[in-house]
Amino acid sequence: MNKRSLALTAAFLIGWLTTVLAQSTDEALQPVTKTFAFKNVTIVVKPGQIIQNGTIVIKDGLISAVGQNVAIPADARVMPADSLFVYAGFIDGLSNTGIPKPEPRPGEAQGPGQQRGQAQPGRNPGTPTNEQAGIQPELRPRDLINPKDKSIEEMRKLGFTAAQVVPNGKMLPGSSAVILLGGATADAMLVKENVALFATLSPATGGFYPNTVIGVMSKFREFYKQAEQNKAHEKMYAANPVGMERPTASRSFSALYPVIEKQQSISFLAPDLKSIYRVFALQQDLNFQLILSGVRQGWLLADQIKAKNIPVLLSLDLPKAPDKKDAKKDSTAAKDPEMVSLEKRRAEEMKNYETQAAVFAGKGITFGFSAYNAKTADIRESLRRMVKGGLKEDQALAALTTTPAEMLGVSKTMGSVEKGKMANLVVTKKPYFDEKSAVRYVFVDGMPYEYEITPTKPVDANAKVKAAGKWSYKIEIPGQQADGIFNLTDEGGKIGGTWVSSQDGQARPISAAELKGNQLTFSAVANVGGRDIPLDFELTLESAKFTGKVKAGNFGTFDVAGTRDGDPK
Amino acid sequence: MKKYFHFICLLLLSPLFLLAQSKTGSLLIKNGTVLTITKGNLSNTDVLIVDGKIKQIGANITAPAGVKTIDATGKFVMPGIIDAHSHIGIDAVNEASNPITSEVAVGDALNPMDIGIYRALAGGTTSSHAMHGSANAIGGQCQTIKHRYGTMNPEDLRMEGAPRTIKFALGENPKRVHGEGRGIQPRTRMGVEQVIRKGLDEARNYAAAVKKYQEEKKTNPNALPPTYNRRSEVLAGVLSGDILIHCHSYRADEILMMLNVCKDYGIKKITFQHVNEGFKVAPELAKFGASASVFADWWAYKFEVYYSTAYNAAILTKNGVLTSINSDSPDYIRHLYHEAAKTQRYGGLTDEEALALITINPAKQLGIENRVGSLEVGKEADVVIFDNHPLSIYAVPQVTIVDGIIRFDRQNDADDQRLEVDPIKAIATYSRAKHDVEDDRCLDGVFEINLDWFKNE
Repeated sequence: MNKRSLALTAAFLIGWLTTVLAQSTDEALQPVTKTFAFKNVTIVVKPGQIIQNGTIVIKDGLISAVGQNVAIPADARVMPADSLFVYAGFIDGLSNTGIPKPEPRPGEAQGPGQQRGQAQPGRNPGTPTNEQAGIQPELRPRDLINPKDKSIEEMRKLGFTAAQVVPNGKMLPGSSAVILLGGATADAMLVKENVALFATLSPATGGFYPNTVIGVMSKFREFYKQAEQNKAHEKMYAANPVGMERPTASRSFSALYPVIEKQQSISFLAPDLKSIYRVFALQQDLNFQLILSGVRQGWLLADQIKAKNIPVLLSLDLPKAPDKKDAKKDSTAAKDPEMVSLEKRRAEEMKNYETQAAVFAGKGITFGFSAYNAKTADIRESLRRMVKGGLKEDQALAALTTTPAEMLGVSKTMGSVEKGKMANLVVTKKPYFDEKSAVRYVFVDGMPYEYEITPTKPVDANAKVKAAGKWSYKIEIPGQQADGIFNLTDEGGKIGGTWVSSQDGQARPISAAELKGNQLTFSAVANVGGRDIPLDFELTLESAKFTGKVKAGNFGTFDVAGTRDGDPK
Repeated sequence: MKKYFHFICLLLLSPLFLLAQSKTGSLLIKNGTVLTITKGNLSNTDVLIVDGKIKQIGANITAPAGVKTIDATGKFVMPGIIDAHSHIGIDAVNEASNPITSEVAVGDALNPMDIGIYRALAGGTTSSHAMHGSANAIGGQCQTIKHRYGTMNPEDLRMEGAPRTIKFALGENPKRVHGEGRGIQPRTRMGVEQVIRKGLDEARNYAAAVKKYQEEKKTNPNALPPTYNRRSEVLAGVLSGDILIHCHSYRADEILMMLNVCKDYGIKKITFQHVNEGFKVAPELAKFGASASVFADWWAYKFEVYYSTAYNAAILTKNGVLTSINSDSPDYIRHLYHEAAKTQRYGGLTDEEALALITINPAKQLGIENRVGSLEVGKEADVVIFDNHPLSIYAVPQVTIVDGIIRFDRQNDADDQRLEVDPIKAIATYSRAKHDVEDDRCLDGVFEINLDWFKNE
């Protein structure tokens, strides 16, 4: 590929991705009326409080009536909801929902092999700008939200109607805001700003300082204390500036002032045990109010967390068990006593992850849930696994509704199905935690989102389909052409081949291909302006066509469909 | 509740869980040959440990009620081995993004779940000096740890009260990372010296500014402090002698250079690490009072280490330089007693001299010689019991004790000693890069971030 065509490809693909980011896939219909009613439904008012055969009236964005003997106003659109279940809309305690990952700017670090921080002669990555160092506590979700970001719809489909969202970033990505998961503009979605300051122990990218966790631990302390110094300096200067050096007018420092004044907590991402200990160490040194966030592996510290009375946001990103079929395939491994005991310990450890929420509930720790880093497709399953692990359904529901509403200071308007509250509701076919349950309606701020309950095409592990051949594909990106050819080969069950995008004509290899029954999965890499974007295809094959999905790195998941064009040459 | 009952039972059955419950223990070691290191060898002698300290050394001691007895008849009892240079038990080695990073501390990233700690215990090593890497002229602060394997709390690993130490590095590594990699100072050995001097100068100025502010504040409530600077704050601690320098070095010329820097800044205590050409400047090191921590017979893994000798430790010792033998490796840390024995083949050191290289001498270099490094009444009960004399090629550690608690027992060495288990994969993934010993681990973590530069080579 010569330089010119490379540039063209890059230009095209960058254009493609920009369009992808701007696409919307689901838009709230403007309703004829703003009055809605559900009748003969089971209303879970709040955990432990249920109204059977109840009626709910929604008017102008608010719940105007809830109960068994409620008159339905004449202008109400009565939703076909007989015998469905109504819950308060769920609140995601912490995530990046609605905030697209920032596009790397030209010349900026773009992952391994593109570490420009080092590569530029004469430039010391040890003296970064605050932005390069991952220190941007001044960023606010309001300025970053894309109301059409796919993640909003994905979360809403699960029953989430509000979320505490934070900017993407490293050490200090910004402050958090509570937003509604629906609305035409960022301003319309915004419920409350400056709820907490978000922090992580992630090093800066691109080789810039701080480049390791030890760098972050030091820089965090230094930056915090410098902010304290600057705050004291500003106070003295305000009292009498004569003869005094001017304090630094730093947005980054001032973003920390509410934390220093203890008017705001730091929502600190601490997924694993060691991170929790490290965050505790920082808290001990600097004495800030703490919300432990995105906790995955904290059960051993449950007593300490309870004693310190720290609120927690448990991660909805549960580790996924390995495919049992794969383990069974290797029958020799299954008989090996060493493998048996290793597998036993693995399973025990998995149980620790699954029972953590129950352990926390048992200790009386205040906790909500966080979708940060969780795959939305796995969230319902994760919740069910926690319930199987001993978390009572009421406790799970509390962690999805009333508790986060309290934690985020929005309990007056959210968290329960009560008169006068915001009409944030999720309506399901069966009780939410039931495996066969499905979401039928979601109301956000009184606006309905309707979901057809259609069974997805079953995965048939025994189906016999042929993957080898020439297939044409089309990725569904509205308003954008993204199509081409898969040339697949099958050598004794080993699937290989290439894919050719019609947009640039380049043949690129596919990898990690596997055909299980009628399910074909494989990975590929698209190169956009020197940056590799992983593509993960998941296709259900029939004899002459296929449907499925492709996940394009951080840019989201898109539908893909295609037809068989013939056998490979 | 039944579910939790099973869960709790599992925890109670795990021996490691029991270990983690108490921080010190009591034991009686009966009838062994006790190699005290500092007070000679005592045959058929008992060592009584009470609450993590050595209470009594002598004949015919009876165990207090409830205290476990270990029969050491025919066995050798010596102080736990101390490694003055390793990188186990930490999650980050190099903050390689700047030529000076004195503000970072590997103690902020302790990893008590590192299986390397258990392996070190199996080799009789009870303490190690977890060091920052050598990417920078002035690296980060190091952490002296005790191998209390069984705890999940990083703080339990820290040897509380041990003096603070810091890594400095001369020669190829900082030149390569910053000079060749980024085209910034230091590009030469001269540059390394200037980076160090500049850092110390800034620290001296910072300390003076802080002092001035504290004075001024007494009379002027509007006095402004200098901008908080952790880098200079730590180096001011180096200047005041509170933080001990451990300096990665190979060549004689740069070792002499560093001695001059210490003289100029009034720094009294320095330990040179690796110091493969130390034998050339042994009298100078002895005169200054600097100490040396070396490999027994490992060199030629890069250009500046081509000139070396297995006699290095013996020559340094005979010249009166306080010398230790270190591992800088999760492999060598398991057999430092063999490494020490090599000095008898190459240099004819006595048993006492050879064993001191891995016990009391590294303890002195770390400033912990009053607590560990020899078997003496009142010292902390870090002990290893060998089946043969530890300098014999047949020696195998049998029991390793830290603070009076058995942390390794060859008779009770279960197959799977992991503390942390991956919930997804049954078999722990083995990271080759982390365990290879083709190079010292001092540049750990640098390769990954300097990928571009290595590619362009």
